[in-house]
Amino acid sequence: MRRFEYFEPKTLDDAVALLGVDGGKANVLAGGTDVLVEIKEDVRRPDYLVNIKKISGMDHLEYDAKTGLRFGALVTTREIEISAAVREKYAGLCQSVSEIGSIQIRNRATVAGNICRASPSADTLPPLIADGASVNIYGPEGERVVLLEEIFTGPGRTILQPNEIITEVRVPPPAPHTGSVYIKHGRRKAMELATVGVAVSLTLDGKVCREIRIVLGAVAPTPIRANQAEAVLRNKPLEQGLVEMAAQAAVNESRPISNVRGSAQYRREMVGVLTKRAVARAAELAQ
Amino acid sequence: MKHLIPLMLNGEARELAVEPYRSLLDTLRNEAGLSGTKKGCDVGDCGACTVILDGKPVNSCLVLAAEVRNCEIVTIEGLQPAPDRLHPLQENFMKYGGAQCGFCTPGVIMMAKALLDENPNPTEDEIRFAIAGNICRCTGYSKIIDAIRATASDLADRAEETAR
Amino acid sequence: MNMSVVGTSVKRTDTLGKVTGQAMYAGDLILPGMLHGKIKRSTVAHAKIKRIDAGKALALPGVKAVLTYENVPRVLHYGSPHPRSASVTKDQYILDNKVRYWGEGVAAVAATMEEIAEEALDLIDVEYEELPAAFTVEEALRPGAPLIHETGPGANLVLDPVVVIRGDVARGFAEADCISEGEYEMGRPTPAYMEPNVCVCRWDGDGKLTVWLSTQTAFMVRGILAEVLGLPLRSVRVLVDHMGGGFGAKQDLFQHEFLCALLAQQSKRPVRMEFSRKETFLGGRSRHPGKVWLKQGFKKDGTITARQARITLNSGAYGSHGPGVTSVGTAALTSLYRCDNVHLEGRCVYTNTPIAGAFRGYGVVQTYYALDVQMDEAAERLGMDPADLKLKNAVREGDIAPSGHPVEGHGLEDCIRRGTEETRWHELRRQARDQAGPVRRGWGMGCEMHGSSAYPGIKEQGNAIVKMNEDGTVTLLTGAGGLGTGAHTALAQIVAEELGVRFEDVSVVHGDTDVVPWDIGAFASHTTFMVGRAAQMAAAEVKKQLLDRAADRLEAAAGDLEIRDGVISVRGVSGYKITVHEAVGPQKGIPAAHLVGSGTYHPTKSYSFAAHFVQVKVDTETGQIEVENVIPIHEIGKVIHPIAAAGQIEGGIQQGIGHMLTEDYLVDLSNGRSLNPSFVDYKMPLSMDMPPIKTIILETAPSAGGPFGAKGVGEDSIIAIGPAIANAVHDAIGVRFRHYPITPEQVLQALREKNDGSSSADRRQAS
Repeated sequence: MRRFEYFEPKTLDDAVALLGVDGGKANVLAGGTDVLVEIKEDVRRPDYLVNIKKISGMDHLEYDAKTGLRFGALVTTREIEISAAVREKYAGLCQSVSEIGSIQIRNRATVAGNICRASPSADTLPPLIADGASVNIYGPEGERVVLLEEIFTGPGRTILQPNEIITEVRVPPPAPHTGSVYIKHGRRKAMELATVGVAVSLTLDGKVCREIRIVLGAVAPTPIRANQAEAVLRNKPLEQGLVEMAAQAAVNESRPISNVRGSAQYRREMVGVLTKRAVARAAELAQ
Repeated sequence: MKHLIPLMLNGEARELAVEPYRSLLDTLRNEAGLSGTKKGCDVGDCGACTVILDGKPVNSCLVLAAEVRNCEIVTIEGLQPAPDRLHPLQENFMKYGGAQCGFCTPGVIMMAKALLDENPNPTEDEIRFAIAGNICRCTGYSKIIDAIRATASDLADRAEETAR
Repeated sequence: MNMSVVGTSVKRTDTLGKVTGQAMYAGDLILPGMLHGKIKRSTVAHAKIKRIDAGKALALPGVKAVLTYENVPRVLHYGSPHPRSASVTKDQYILDNKVRYWGEGVAAVAATMEEIAEEALDLIDVEYEELPAAFTVEEALRPGAPLIHETGPGANLVLDPVVVIRGDVARGFAEADCISEGEYEMGRPTPAYMEPNVCVCRWDGDGKLTVWLSTQTAFMVRGILAEVLGLPLRSVRVLVDHMGGGFGAKQDLFQHEFLCALLAQQSKRPVRMEFSRKETFLGGRSRHPGKVWLKQGFKKDGTITARQARITLNSGAYGSHGPGVTSVGTAALTSLYRCDNVHLEGRCVYTNTPIAGAFRGYGVVQTYYALDVQMDEAAERLGMDPADLKLKNAVREGDIAPSGHPVEGHGLEDCIRRGTEETRWHELRRQARDQAGPVRRGWGMGCEMHGSSAYPGIKEQGNAIVKMNEDGTVTLLTGAGGLGTGAHTALAQIVAEELGVRFEDVSVVHGDTDVVPWDIGAFASHTTFMVGRAAQMAAAEVKKQLLDRAADRLEAAAGDLEIRDGVISVRGVSGYKITVHEAVGPQKGIPAAHLVGSGTYHPTKSYSFAAHFVQVKVDTETGQIEVENVIPIHEIGKVIHPIAAAGQIEGGIQQGIGHMLTEDYLVDLSNGRSLNPSFVDYKMPLSMDMPPIKTIILETAPSAGGPFGAKGVGEDSIIAIGPAIANAVHDAIGVRFRHYPITPEQVLQALREKNDGSSSADRRQAS
């Protein structure tokens, strides 16, 4: 690994100050499961790593029916995976974290890190966006809350400045009769990067799909809402023909590339298959 | 510039002087005299470097030594309860053929230990899920699972014995 | 014969260190003053090195030595061991002024820290003059193609084509009622052993080189290092303690052994060189990709009348084991399913891609995939069940095997029969028809045979020395390598059984070329068979000496004595016995006995057999194939250690499933760059992907040449599992695949074509 210096700030302001030095030569070290790999593969060459794990106030994980889910930037994907509240209320998110890497990885990898790394195939992003998540960003100018859906600008890129840190993720409480699902497509059952990821969150009102959000991962430079697919189903009774139309719309909205993990054509096809399956499963969960 | 890191390593208080960019894995193997933990890929893809850090199994290749100040680490060398007594996992990996070339073995055993600590009676599916991040190229996993299942059973018997 | 040690799963001698972390692998060694070595690798596939400048690297504080082609011995060598044998190719330099594949080593440094060594690599300046490259076999064989090597037969051939002819194929085809023909294509799986290649080198003040190395062939390494570095053999010592897997590939030298030795020599300090995982791909050895064109003639009753094949293997940039793999893979097609008339031609072709070498199965994975899948195709056309067709044609006692020797016994038939019983095969095949929904299931079977030893390609030799200590315990000295298969335990069991002592009283010394008898290395499934026999012979010699000594003590004829569990007694007479310890130990006025026996065995050949029965599930919407159940039946003569034997079988199945479904080491065909040299994108089946395996081992055709009748087992399962899966997929969805790996995309494409009624190019059938 390339040589670098290492800091352990005790406060957010100290961290932000360190990150601001030398314009981008410092990187955040939280779980380390992305940044250390990138350094070892010579994709990233920071001069400094700033370990934020000693900063207090970012390891909480709370749910209540009024404010929903709030968890700090240092909460690991494993903690989310085993949280009863998340399993019950945000099944898509729970499923997504359980399929990231291995347990060893998940004991270190944070959800906030998954967000900041902004890989087009990141698993937590589609279900978080489908559930309407937002993030709290802390920087030298202060704090701001931004809808998660709006922070991604390209593959591996977000609106975050080099000296800004996500401190918290918030997800609104699900309405009654909401089902939330994430399906990850890969060549094997674990240790995979998604070739396609589909998250569906829908709320039923009797047989009618009152609200639906479909988010696609790994088929565009960022995770994307399949708006047209949603429009097909929103406020309509959920039935087979419409679901197939929505799946086809999702296919048309996806813009995957071909790479060693799969061709664009195959990924488009899988968007269709998985959207159908995800909608069906979400509807079941919503009963 | 080296950082001085105090920690508990296999039940022993140690202090290691480490470069900031050195992984916990390299530090264990090169500074701490514990070469039992292996480097299979160095990027978290294979699990051969699994150790237990503050009670949780992690890939030590993706932890900086500098990060583990005052932490508790258990490696394969720290698993057996006494110099002349093995942990049941170790006995059963030998007995059931869970180890062939042995390179993945320390990592698999530590992951299995973490699993059994949390879930003393796992199903086969739960075992396969737990070791999904440990690559073995020799056994096809069947005998690894046999060894872990047998250990769960042995530990349950022991617990019953003690309870009586 | 009722055996007390052979046939039981004794506690393996090597596993204690593995489960406690005490076992030493080459990369665990830390020597005082040790430096870290790293290799700079090319980023162009085919080029001359116009200029290479290491000045800045040498100047970096902490760097102690740098090597380029300009300061290493220029000796053309085999790269692989087996010097001057038929298996390997003499086409490598330690470092050349030319690179032939993207990722080839062009320079090496040794520094006080790994991080400094890596930084030093960046400071080495290389100017390449790119040459036109050939990335596929087709490109390499085109007239006017760039010539990759000046050595060899030319035209980018690694060796002259291998031709095997028996009988008269023209007549055979003329007699046929129906002909099956097809082209089968093989991808590029790699061994992906868990322990990356690693070596440590140290020179003593008197010019002796000690090498700690992860290798299957310690004596071969010694030989070729001595040859290339210009040293007598007594000045090179190779030490192998534990190894983290090799699967055949670690029979080669990987460039870094020479570089490590030279860096140590130049810096006058010990040097460790360890491949990164990426380097195990770039600088490692994969299986030969290639194509097999196969044509067979059948009579209506299923008899095979003729078999013709053209095998073309892609060697990558260097020849390595190309000759051996091509010869063995080609010759294998004379057998498995009986056929009197064969005409086989095998070629191995250089391309500017990563090197293919020895890998478990050694050419037979490729050719038997084609053969067994075509048998299934023929069965369909003939209206016969594939298991019935294969059973009918299964090679058997007296048939001439690929080695030229007669087959012993009916092992293959036994495996097929047992498998069809165990799975209720004929019922299963009927059930499969009635399926609805997107998920389809199917059953398939595939067969194989594989030789225990590399004979006759290599005239091998197994050696063993057995000595008995004054307390009656025994030491076996063997040069046989320990890949982690449990071979040394099996050898100890054989010695214990032959001598009549307890397994616990036998220890094995291996892995030091200064001490143990010469051994060709652990490969070709020959350790149990060949070295086991030598060990048995050595033990028999010691036994004779022991009984002679005991005969005096017991006042009986040596021929009337027997030994069991370390006790020597007179046959049929109770109460008249002494322990081995007593027989050997000193008595008043008589020193302890010094009993030593040695054995040398030149094996001929024996063959092990297998039939695999596999259930797959296919999701026809995603194209994903899952192997749900595997029942492998193996006939191996005599099982020495049941759990170790089953372990070999099950491990080979994991690799074979990977070959078929997800493992492919890919190269960008526009520039030769490796696309997936990592475990993220080179996908092996993991714990959740592996099916339950019910291993069944038969001992119905013991080998007269093997110890207690034992034959090899290491390579068989990886050969049988592939066609079994392909055939099961056909049973599930009615689509015939003639290649591996089979990707989900290809499944969907094939299903589309099937439903459209259109036929794809590779399903032509002549009649």
